[in-house]
Amino acid sequence: MSRRVLLAIALAAGAVHAATLEVRARDTGGAPLADAAVFAVPAFGATDAKGARVEIAQADREFVPFVSVIQQGTAVSFPNRDPILHHVYSFSHAKPFEFKLYTGKSPGEIVFDKSGVVTLGCNIHDWMIAYVVIVPTPHFAKSDADGVARLRDLPAGSYELRAWHPNQKVAPANQSVVLDAAANSRATFAIDTAPRKPKFKPPLDRLRY
Amino acid sequence: MADPLTRPKVSRLSSLGTRLVIFFVALLVLVQGLGAFLVIQANSQIARQTIDQELEQGERVFRRLLAQNQARLEQGAAILSADFAFRQAIATDDGGTIASVLRNHGARVGATVMMLVSLDKVVKADTGDPSRIGRPFAFPALIDAGTAEGKASSIVLLGERLHQLVVVPVLAPDPIAYVGLAFEVDDAAAQEMNRLSGLEVSFVSGQGEASRLHASTLAPALRTALSGALASLPPGGAFREVDLGGEEYETRTAALPTSTASVVAVLQKPLAVGLAPFLRISTAFFWLTAAGLVALVIGSLVIARSITRPVSRLADAARRVQEGDYTRHLEPAGRDEIGELAVSFNHMLDGIQSREKEILRLAYEDGLTGLPNRAMFNQQLEQAVRTARRESQPLAVMIFDMDRFKAINDTLGHPVGDQALREVGLRVRKALRDSDVVARLGGDEFAILLATGSAEHAIRVVAGKIIGCLEAPLVIDGQSMDIAASIGIARFPEHGEEASALMRAADVAMYAAKRSKSGFEVYDPTHDERRQEYLSLLGELRRAVEAGELVLHYQPKMSLAENRTTSVEALVRWRHPTRGFVPPSEFIPFAEQTGYISSITRWVMGRAIEQAGEWHRLGLGIRMCVNVSARDLRSEDTLVQYVWAALLAAELPPGMLCLEVTESSLMDDPRSAQSTLRKLRDLGIATSIDDYGTGYSSLAYIKQLAVNELKIDRAFVSGMEADSRNAAIVRSTIELGHNLGLSVVAEGVETEHELAELRRFGCDVIQGYLYARPMAAEALEGWLGGTRERAGGSLRATTTSARALRGER
Repeated sequence: MSRRVLLAIALAAGAVHAATLEVRARDTGGAPLADAAVFAVPAFGATDAKGARVEIAQADREFVPFVSVIQQGTAVSFPNRDPILHHVYSFSHAKPFEFKLYTGKSPGEIVFDKSGVVTLGCNIHDWMIAYVVIVPTPHFAKSDADGVARLRDLPAGSYELRAWHPNQKVAPANQSVVLDAAANSRATFAIDTAPRKPKFKPPLDRLRY
Repeated sequence: MADPLTRPKVSRLSSLGTRLVIFFVALLVLVQGLGAFLVIQANSQIARQTIDQELEQGERVFRRLLAQNQARLEQGAAILSADFAFRQAIATDDGGTIASVLRNHGARVGATVMMLVSLDKVVKADTGDPSRIGRPFAFPALIDAGTAEGKASSIVLLGERLHQLVVVPVLAPDPIAYVGLAFEVDDAAAQEMNRLSGLEVSFVSGQGEASRLHASTLAPALRTALSGALASLPPGGAFREVDLGGEEYETRTAALPTSTASVVAVLQKPLAVGLAPFLRISTAFFWLTAAGLVALVIGSLVIARSITRPVSRLADAARRVQEGDYTRHLEPAGRDEIGELAVSFNHMLDGIQSREKEILRLAYEDGLTGLPNRAMFNQQLEQAVRTARRESQPLAVMIFDMDRFKAINDTLGHPVGDQALREVGLRVRKALRDSDVVARLGGDEFAILLATGSAEHAIRVVAGKIIGCLEAPLVIDGQSMDIAASIGIARFPEHGEEASALMRAADVAMYAAKRSKSGFEVYDPTHDERRQEYLSLLGELRRAVEAGELVLHYQPKMSLAENRTTSVEALVRWRHPTRGFVPPSEFIPFAEQTGYISSITRWVMGRAIEQAGEWHRLGLGIRMCVNVSARDLRSEDTLVQYVWAALLAAELPPGMLCLEVTESSLMDDPRSAQSTLRKLRDLGIATSIDDYGTGYSSLAYIKQLAVNELKIDRAFVSGMEADSRNAAIVRSTIELGHNLGLSVVAEGVETEHELAELRRFGCDVIQGYLYARPMAAEALEGWLGGTRERAGGSLRATTTSARALRGER
């Protein structure tokens, strides 16, 4: 999926000089933070994604992935790969919705047309949680286990660099960056986080329910 | 002195019973009291501990209940917060829907107040008090705790009311809001606590004066009391007694989890409830003690009576013994100590009975003769007198004693005398009918009670029989002796109506018989008169010496060798102022009995020696002879000293004095007589044995005595003419006397024949009416002059009347 997105970004910015912005997400103690959403909003020309499709699956009674970063206007489907039913819902203002009790193929697609963070839950399984970060820019990335998120093929220009992390106490301050063509830049976000208390997940019983 | 046996028996017995009862009751009360004290003390301690334990346990139950309640509420809240529709309503931010959902769910879980609080802790909805909407939530700490723990709860004051507030986050699945559920802690909640813990439960907020009672299981009145006592409630965990409406409550406070004001639960239990079981034990204890006391009193009394009843029977028996009834034995009374006592008592009765018989025998029987004694005789006489009086029958009493018995006793010794008395008793007893009573009154005195119906002549026959049976000589230890009795007879009713009068009459008659030597005399009132005279004479005799009523007459003694008067015997005479002349035989024996004889002897001695001194100075050459009694002889020194003093005073040579001692008086106390005589002889005073032959002294004994002279008793002299045996006695006596170197005097010489015989026998001196009567000093002086003139002249003839008088000694 991400490859396709990246491909699309690359296709869109291919005409101009492009650069890569490497952003490091760390907590206040300097430890790398994974699953941090990092996105750069160009000073001009915020755009919706057209026809972009993303999947947030349910597998092993978890949402996969835990954090999804998508461009505004992306349609997201919620395939259920578990042998049991799930009831996916969102009470977030950015996109409240629900898919009641289904399995297998996603009952439909949700187009996230507003930027913001949507928290996903399952009405059956309280511990299941996932976040969808909807950004108004095609330039976004998610930090890896090393806490590094790379924004590639960024056209030269001015950007507002933002970050979000599911464990953040407060949103980190936005950073303004100006990128030259072909010049790779770096940025770092130190995010004040609170450790996430894992919710109790009952083990599977014999019948794998 | 109070006799213990006559004391009222009830008090004595009851006192024993009472003492037993008091002792045991006191013991039981003491032991039970001590036990009760300890038990009650331990009980109250245990009761308190038990209550305290109950309170602690109650507190644990209470806290558990509280926790369970909280958990239930939290569960309710959690379920609510997870409700999809509820979350949806919140997510939609639809105020009206939210409020109605809250109300609906509140009713479902029984919450009093439902609240919705935003993530920024502002109240979004409140079913209890809408005025709180839009304001900051009052218990932010609960939000934080709820975020961290997923739930939080506390006892809080919502307004004025006490609530248990539970806060849980609404998860979607991250918290999107908080929902608060409040449950009021009211009386119903307290009742629920009470139902499960069994304690009185009250909820109090604030401290000291500001404290408030919010809910309680107590009755309204007690709540007021508790409110009053709130200020002094103990801190949590401590126990304390609180008086509510007159009842003591053990009280403990339990602090409750609270975020704002201090809220405590007051847990109480009435002490009485805890003490109740112990009260029941104490009551049982009390009744047990009371029952024990009753049983003890009854038991003690029964035991006491089981002791005292036999004891009182013993006491009764002892009282009967005291009254002289020995015949009733005690019934055997068990095998205990008292039974043994009863057996011993019966043995004692037998002992007393047999001893009393012996004592009675001794008391009423004469040990010597086996005859009844005086006491027995008196009893029988009294009995006989009563019978005789009732049946108008005559009866007679005889009293007799042995003539000259004293002589037998003195000379042959008491064993012989006793045997003589025994023999007399036997003879008299044998001589009389069995119905006659023969008794020994004492000494040689016997009494006879003749059976009724005895007439005068019959009495005389009996008296004759008695005299007759005593005529035969007694032979004792081979020695033969003559005895004779003088019998006095008195008859009922002529001589006395009473036993004592009869005895006295018989006694008087006996003395009359002795005097008359007639053998027996029947009582005559004239006897009595003479006896009366004796008695008054005795009284007057004391006066006689001082009054000068006594005079001395002197009877001359003639020496047959010289045919002249060589000595005189001084004889006392009593010239009574009213009675005239009283013969010595009337008063000398009585003077001897009373001891007054010493005074008389002393006077006679003094007077005679004085007279002799006078005659000695006149050159008459006459020796003075003075009689000395047995009593004087015993007081040897006094006599010797007095005589010597008198001799000196009269300037009389000792040889001119002769003291005459009767033979029987020598036998009274031979040793002192011998000593006195020796002292007198050493002084040169002559001594003579008077009435020789009446006693039983042997010549061998006389030989040892320091005497100069022997006087032959008149009885032998006057009997010489009638009985040749008497003459032989006189003759042999004179010869024996001479052989012993003694001069021999014959007294009572009254006839020429006697004089001639005496002269023939070689008698040295004669004395008697034939020669001269006793005469006064002047008369004697005159008479002496006369005899000198007709020296060797014939002696005057005696008269029979003079002989009968026997005034001389």
